[in-house]
Amino acid sequence: MGRTPSLSSDTAADDPLGSLLEHPALWRGRSLARTDTHSTGYPTLDEALPGGGWPANGLSEILSLHPGLGELRLLMPLLVRFGQQPSARWVAWIAPPFEPYAPALAGAGVPLERQLVVRTDEPLWALEQAIESGACATVLGWLKSRPGEALQRSLRRLQLAAQRQRTPVFLFREVAAAQCASPAELRLELHFRVGGARLQLLKSRGGRRGAFDIEWSVASGALHGTP
Amino acid sequence: MARRERAASVRRAFSAPGFEPASSATAPSSATAPSSATAPSSVDARRRAAQQARAIADLPPVLDSLFDEVLESWLALQLPPSQATPEMLGRLGTLAYRYTSRVSLEADAVLLEVQGSVRLFGGLQALCAQLLERCRAAGLEPRWALAPTPLAALVLARAGRNIMVRARDRLMGELAPLPVESLAWSAETLARLDSLGVRTLGALLRLPRAGFAKRFGKEALLALDRLSGATAEPRRGFLPREHFHVRSEPTFELISQAAILQHVAPLLDQLEQFLRTRQCGVDLLKLRLAHRAGRFTRLDVRLAAADVSAERFVTVLSEQLARRVLSAAVIDCELRSGVLQPFIAHSDSLWRPAEHGGAIGRESPALIERLRARLGSEAVYGLCLVPQHRPEIAWRVAEPALDAPSPCTAEALYHVSTLRRPLWLLRQPAALPCAVSALHWIAGPERIETGWWDGQDVARDYYVVREPRGAELWVYRERLPPHTWWWHGVFG
Repeated sequence: MGRTPSLSSDTAADDPLGSLLEHPALWRGRSLARTDTHSTGYPTLDEALPGGGWPANGLSEILSLHPGLGELRLLMPLLVRFGQQPSARWVAWIAPPFEPYAPALAGAGVPLERQLVVRTDEPLWALEQAIESGACATVLGWLKSRPGEALQRSLRRLQLAAQRQRTPVFLFREVAAAQCASPAELRLELHFRVGGARLQLLKSRGGRRGAFDIEWSVASGALHGTP
Repeated sequence: MARRERAASVRRAFSAPGFEPASSATAPSSATAPSSATAPSSVDARRRAAQQARAIADLPPVLDSLFDEVLESWLALQLPPSQATPEMLGRLGTLAYRYTSRVSLEADAVLLEVQGSVRLFGGLQALCAQLLERCRAAGLEPRWALAPTPLAALVLARAGRNIMVRARDRLMGELAPLPVESLAWSAETLARLDSLGVRTLGALLRLPRAGFAKRFGKEALLALDRLSGATAEPRRGFLPREHFHVRSEPTFELISQAAILQHVAPLLDQLEQFLRTRQCGVDLLKLRLAHRAGRFTRLDVRLAAADVSAERFVTVLSEQLARRVLSAAVIDCELRSGVLQPFIAHSDSLWRPAEHGGAIGRESPALIERLRARLGSEAVYGLCLVPQHRPEIAWRVAEPALDAPSPCTAEALYHVSTLRRPLWLLRQPAALPCAVSALHWIAGPERIETGWWDGQDVARDYYVVREPRGAELWVYRERLPPHTWWWHGVFG
């Protein structure tokens, strides 16, 4: 479990007001709020994210133009870590765009017996069920925004459910969704970069914004020759 | 005779103020013990305890002996002729089976030996009160009696004497005034007894044995010995059913889902009672709703894990019913259980799942059931490896079972650890999303070939490529002409 408080606790001990202000339920616009997080497994990303990792209780949105830019690789260290937890809970995949490929997941060290795939046309309902059940270590959901559909209220329900059940929830959405407001704790936009990805921080508790690069640590096979 | 008087005087001495006979002193305290152990909330528990105390107060006192050790206590539950059908007797037997495994059926009654279960249910009176309460809840009003021998209990019950006799030495006194008709012997035998001037059981039992056997046969003498307990009576045991099946015809047509659910709920309660008696669970329920003109709607309720609780069944059933459009009004409901499975109830965790290492128990099957009830069984699945070199059959859909021992073999794991495979696979290989010339080549080729033994022969060269928009794809070219390019996976 990578729950690391963002601020060192020695300052909080000296200053009673400071410790009050660092309460996780309190969010001050400028400050880095103290939130429970899970380490992402990428040092550069951990450094850039408030609290040093993925929010442990709430929604994180990952926006990308289309699937395949590395959105799963981004989460792989987290999924591996959840697989090693002693108490077995599901990793729920709600409405994924393709089939999660078992050999690749097993090869990355993700235990297959804890993966639960759900195919559905109403991902929001399934997401809420999965989060509310308390049986999932994390929930991954793929949302396709249809024109004219207001997701805000539904997302708000998901966010509250995730906070209540202390579940990290990851929503994968299209880049166009960046135009609409969202109750998510964290919003990232994923862009292609050779050998890695460029992440644009759209929203985070702590107010930091900006872009940063991460490198994939995949040993890719050598190219023997083009056909 | 002298001994009985002595016992009575001892009892009188003990009933002085400050010392109550054991039976009435233990009644209220023993009544609270089982209910407080099972009740979810204290208010509920208190109400139930009060209810039970009242039920026990309605029961007659136990006729106990201070000297004899009680070996057996038989409770007879006799149904009035209007209710005494084989089906009702079976239901009563199943009900009784919850309290003891020594249950046996008569033509109009159920006999059960309860002495062995007295401690577990917190006293004889508590047990009887609970059992009779359950009978009443099931719509049965049996006459009952408790006696040290099964035949005596039956005779007392038939005579309408609702009494509890535990001591053998007090049995004769209760039996003696009963008319001989309560033995349910043949009319001819009863007429002959009448002509002898024998009208009560007391008179019958006082007849000389040898002469009685000569006149009425050895069978009749054996019956009298069994009545008094001089001879043991082996009884055939009752075997509860292996399946649950109940049919119920509503008094009016059911047109809404809510009405159907309301009608089916008591059936599910019956099912729960049945399952608890058998200490089993089911993971499949079959509900058949009949419409007019001989048409049916069938609903199969599948649960992710065997369960007994009617509440769970109702939740899953209501999700399924909400999805179904019924063509006509329902005039008949039939509920069947699947195969019974051993059910081990487990306790709830104090902590929330994963909080301080709290494990999840019922949450996981409950989630899968809810999802499946609405989305269909195939829409929710787990993943599993298959030791195969062809990518599309190197995995398969598996029944989701949290942390079940994985069926993956070492061979399959060897494959996955050495080769680079995409995280996403397309169900069917698709045409390339862009022109071949626009691809950026990253790795390859990896040749994957053959499968002639099962008819899925492949001959492909796989490449890892990057398409112009940046996604890394897994594509292949057929080795056979016309060398078509296919898109098979995404590295995600």
